[in-house]
Amino acid sequence: MADTKSTKPTENTSNNKIKHEVIKDPLTGVETTGHVWDDTLMEFNNPLPTWWLWAFYGTIIFSIVYFIIYPSWPTGLAEKGYIAGTSEITYKSDAGEEITTHWNTRALLAHEMQNDPNELKRQTMVKKVAATPLASVVKDPQQSQFVLAYGKGIFGDYCAGCHQTGGQGVIGDYPNLIDDAWLWGSDSVDIETTIRKGRTGNMPAHKASMSDAEITQTANYVLSLSGESVDSAAAEHGKKLFNTKGCSGCHMPTGVGMKALGAANLTDKIWTQANVPAAADITAKVAAVKTIIANGFKREMPAWESRLSNDEIKVLVAYIKLLSAE
Amino acid sequence: MASKAASPVVEQYNYDIVKKFALMSLFWGLAGMSAGTYIASELAWPFLNFDIAQITFGRLRPLHTSGVIFGFGGNALFATSYYIVQRTCQTRLWGTGFANFTFWGWNAAITIAGIGYLMGITAGREYAEPEWYVDLIILVVWVVYFLVYTMTLLKRNQPHIYVANWFFISFILAVALLHIFNNLAVPVSFFGTKSYSLFSGAQDAMTQWWYGHNAVGFFLTAAFLGMMYYFVPKQAGRPVYSYRLSIIHFWALSFMYMWVGTHHLHWTAIPDWTSSLAAAFSIMLLMPSWGGMINGIMTLSGAWDKLRSDPIMMFLITSLSFYGMSTFEGPMMALKSVNALSHYTDWTVGHVHSGALGWVAMVTFGSMYHMIPRLWNTTLYSLKMVYIHFFLTTIGILLYITALWVSGIGQGLMLRAFDEYGNLAYSFIETVAFMHGPLVARAIAGMFIVTGLLFMLVNIYLTITRRDTVENTVAATAKA
Amino acid sequence: MMKHESIETNAALLIVLTLAAISIGGLVEIVPLFYIEGTVEDVKNADGKDAVRPYTGLEQLGRDIYTREGCYNCHSQMIRPFRDEALRYGHYSLAAESQYDHPFQWGSMRRGPDLARVGGKYSSSWNTKHLIAPRSVVPESIMPNYPWLQKTDLDTSDLIAKMKTLKKVGVPYSLTKIEYDANVEKFGEDVAKKLDINAAEKNLMKDAKLGNFDGNPDKLSEMDALVAYLQILGTMIDFSKHDEAEFIKFR
Ligand code: HEC
Ligand code: HEC
Ligand code: HEC
Ligand code: HEM
Ligand code: HEM
Ligand SMILES: [Ca+2]
Ligand SMILES: [Ca+2]
Ligand SMILES: [Cu+2]
Repeated sequence: MADTKSTKPTENTSNNKIKHEVIKDPLTGVETTGHVWDDTLMEFNNPLPTWWLWAFYGTIIFSIVYFIIYPSWPTGLAEKGYIAGTSEITYKSDAGEEITTHWNTRALLAHEMQNDPNELKRQTMVKKVAATPLASVVKDPQQSQFVLAYGKGIFGDYCAGCHQTGGQGVIGDYPNLIDDAWLWGSDSVDIETTIRKGRTGNMPAHKASMSDAEITQTANYVLSLSGESVDSAAAEHGKKLFNTKGCSGCHMPTGVGMKALGAANLTDKIWTQANVPAAADITAKVAAVKTIIANGFKREMPAWESRLSNDEIKVLVAYIKLLSAE
Repeated sequence: MASKAASPVVEQYNYDIVKKFALMSLFWGLAGMSAGTYIASELAWPFLNFDIAQITFGRLRPLHTSGVIFGFGGNALFATSYYIVQRTCQTRLWGTGFANFTFWGWNAAITIAGIGYLMGITAGREYAEPEWYVDLIILVVWVVYFLVYTMTLLKRNQPHIYVANWFFISFILAVALLHIFNNLAVPVSFFGTKSYSLFSGAQDAMTQWWYGHNAVGFFLTAAFLGMMYYFVPKQAGRPVYSYRLSIIHFWALSFMYMWVGTHHLHWTAIPDWTSSLAAAFSIMLLMPSWGGMINGIMTLSGAWDKLRSDPIMMFLITSLSFYGMSTFEGPMMALKSVNALSHYTDWTVGHVHSGALGWVAMVTFGSMYHMIPRLWNTTLYSLKMVYIHFFLTTIGILLYITALWVSGIGQGLMLRAFDEYGNLAYSFIETVAFMHGPLVARAIAGMFIVTGLLFMLVNIYLTITRRDTVENTVAATAKA
Repeated sequence: MMKHESIETNAALLIVLTLAAISIGGLVEIVPLFYIEGTVEDVKNADGKDAVRPYTGLEQLGRDIYTREGCYNCHSQMIRPFRDEALRYGHYSLAAESQYDHPFQWGSMRRGPDLARVGGKYSSSWNTKHLIAPRSVVPESIMPNYPWLQKTDLDTSDLIAKMKTLKKVGVPYSLTKIEYDANVEKFGEDVAKKLDINAAEKNLMKDAKLGNFDGNPDKLSEMDALVAYLQILGTMIDFSKHDEAEFIKFR
């Protein structure tokens, strides 16, 4: 072994005479171990600090208790392959059966969802609101307060990415939920269906079937529907085109839209796609509407039935109704 | 190198290798901490991502972590371990060529890995981001490192192996073990960069955090304790406080660290028993960790005045205090109930930096200030600049940690806040908005720390270049 | 204490004992995970087939982009069994759901929301818009813009090599008829077709065309792949079809 040589006295470094002597420190009176390295490196032979040792024992005792309570050691012997510990949790299965099991994180959640008073309050309120007609919900301060509170968090995490924090949406991308216009209907049943099943809005492109001049004329007509002062001659032509090129099939001959298709109401001065409100003058407004007619657009509202219960969706409907009523 | 060739006798110690590693450590320190400050700023002001793929947060963050841990920390550990093993064994480092190989290999590996991150080449697991070919380089370097280190130990001229070396040995062995098992992966092609890890899902997570935690435990803790065990008594001129404490806490630390990886996976889809085991062992790890702090700080007993007069000592002792603090915070965060709040939040990042900046960086700075003048056989250019560095760093770290306690605990509480009806009180994005202030403060903290580091670099540069004058003076005096 | 003398004067002994000390913890914690039942759930659909399937070629390439961009530095994919997370993100994650993830991407930080169940939460056009410019849809966001994803063609040249490599590490993609049949048995015919390496390129093109994830059907971009990946996250198990007790008992 190479190590045998290490027991030789180590005199061969010129600048160092190693004296393996125990030295008593004049400052503290403690002795060193007698080992010396690199000229001056030494160690005191202080005992382990008592508080330290006791604290260490303390943590060991803590751990032993912990090991007894919680699942911890993979022995391979016990039923599960590990020792499950003495702590237990009782919960109900979805089938309603009461089950008691060793402590584990999943049972803990089930137990909390079934027993936490705060959570139970939420569940009760959700059920209550869902079962109450909307008009009564609005009138009941407690219920409407609950709806607003419920909606704030859920709407923020689930819906605001599209409809924005206040529900005002983004013209061109996501509809405004706090105005009076509804593509798919303003009934709570309609809104509920929208949220549960999702929607796909589809305005077909017309640039293949219409000339640019025709599109301009139609756009003028569309704007005239909501009272914009447009080139009336163009609008006159546009009116014909509106009825012959298929527009009226979806938006109805009067332009009020059709909720079965989610076709927008073109008469209500409210715009979800064409950014007419931002347009400075009539030319820009016409241009905005033209783009929609020419290119069409397709957009999708996701379905939420797999994430939210029917009751929860009903509360969300109430939330949206409250938002748009404010 | 040149001077060595010119001199007829081989110097007693191989300082050349120590110098190279020490300087590289400072280089990576600057690069890594600047990157840290930059990513901190990206979080505060997202426009700083500039739509440039290479510098977006997701790609730059691993450059920061690898840069500071493996670049700054790694090079510092190579430097100090080579320095310490020679001086405490009173023998020249074994295998000069091999030692040089570790220098070039290690730094090549970090450089290749770092450029890779910017290009989007990553294994996608924290602190183990280097792809398979870099892992292979690291493996070879590590084996050679082990060889150089052990051979030097074996030819020592001291009967006893000094405690610092125990920690370095533990570190070298553990990192080898971790590196090999955690990086088991199959490359897509021999000429391509991409590989897929051998394990998946839960097992992959477990292996990764066994590695990840012990990267902390052995790379950022055990090894730096080795550093501490040499430089604190040396700088204090006092013996280490307690030999017996050294023994107990060394073995307890080495044994227990390996059990606790799963405290990074509390409440996840990992089986509960692993998580409990980790929580309990983390608690038991507290006192063994504090053993190092006690041994370091108490070494100063009888020389407390140095804390006021010697800024190098201030670095070393402050580092031990942060070490004590983060190893107290760590076991608390390892408790499942606390972790439920802290996990996934800035509290973790704050804890990381009270360890990584407060302990790792500070003990390194202190040690470098002690070692570098000795390597170049000169004295430090300016102690005043060390003071300035010390204060900038301390203020920076305190600001960093406090800001992230606010943002981490704040976010944690907001996310689990329920209103009187049991509804979620806040949406996620509200917590993002809430964290803006603390994240700005953290970015500013980074600027303090980098500024301090610049003082150090200038000071070190002037110290090293002054060597010529010192030598010249000595030579001139001799002639006269 | 004095016995320590023999360890600290003998480097070989010190090394061997240290190695022993550091090996035990890892062994006890990791090794049982590979054999103890109770690590990865076996979740079946009503028809007895596996609920969780490996990623399609397109999704896997998207996943590779997810790791490449380092999304895991900001996003976790691991919902914990807490009340707030249940309300915010949905059902807690099962180990089964990441059983084909090489590497796992559970993450350790939530700069952004958890993504374990982001699939289907938004439309693909939202995801595209959001990835190109997050602040255009979420004003307070601090997520970087990823405009190049839409502009860069998806590199499919190593698709087959990647799937074969994943097969080596245990993902059940099929090459031979026998393997294909085994997949039909395990996942059902529709899924088995998606896992057939021989048809991988054709499938990828079809999936991208049909899904039109980036809103541009004429171009196969990196965005297509990444969004395809995001849209599948957390959607494979229909939790309404399972009794909660099934997952609890498993623990
Ligand atoms: C991915 C984006 C997105 C998300 C997330 C989203 N929506 Fe929508 N939503 C849309 C789009 C797009 C439309 C319009 C569909 C159309 O044009 O037909 C829409 C339409 C609606 C409508 C019908 C509006 C009308 O005028 O008839 C309601 C109500 C609605 N969303 C509510 C919600 C609620 C509640 C949530 C959250 C639970 C939500 N949305 C989440 C995109 C989204
Ligand atoms: C197949 C049915 C269909 C046809 C045909 C159709 N539309 Fe539409 N249109 C829609 C739907 C649906 C929307 C709303 C889409 C949405 O909001 O997602 C819409 C929206 C619009 C809008 C935007 C309204 C706003 O609030 O911004 C305009 C303008 C419009 N249509 C004009 C026309 C004109 C002009 C024509 C004929 C040239 C036409 N549409 C033909 C279904 C149709
Ligand atoms: C700097 C941190 C950061 C990085 C890097 C990042 N994100 Fe995000 N991400 C966020 C934040 C903050 C949010 C929440 C605000 C928002 O929706 O933009 C978010 C939200 C999201 C969402 C919406 C989640 C939801 O449920 O609302 C998706 C999807 C997403 N990110 C995907 C990605 C992908 C894919 C990448 C990588 C290509 C990525 N993110 C990189 C910070 C980040
Ligand atoms: C007894 C000592 C310690 C214990 C028990 C401990 C425990 C922990 C815990 C519980 C976490 C949080 C994991 C999570 O929720 O994700 C953590 C994270 C971390 N700790 Fe410690 N810690 C200790 C000391 C240290 C020290 C001294 C350092 C640094 C030098 C450090 C560096 C880190 C790092 C880098 C992480 C972040 C890992 C990640 O998520 O990326 N820890 N530690
Ligand atoms: C100027 C000094 C530094 C600054 C400004 C800084 C900043 C940062 C930032 C912004 C992050 C990302 C956190 C996030 O994702 O939100 C980070 C992560 C990290 N940094 Fe630093 N850092 C600095 C120094 C260091 C040093 C010296 C070390 C190690 C020696 C270090 C180790 C780490 C680690 C391990 C992480 C990952 C934390 C985790 O995953 O939880 N940092 N740092
Ligand atoms: Ca509307
Ligand atoms: Ca992390
Ligand atoms: Cu840890």
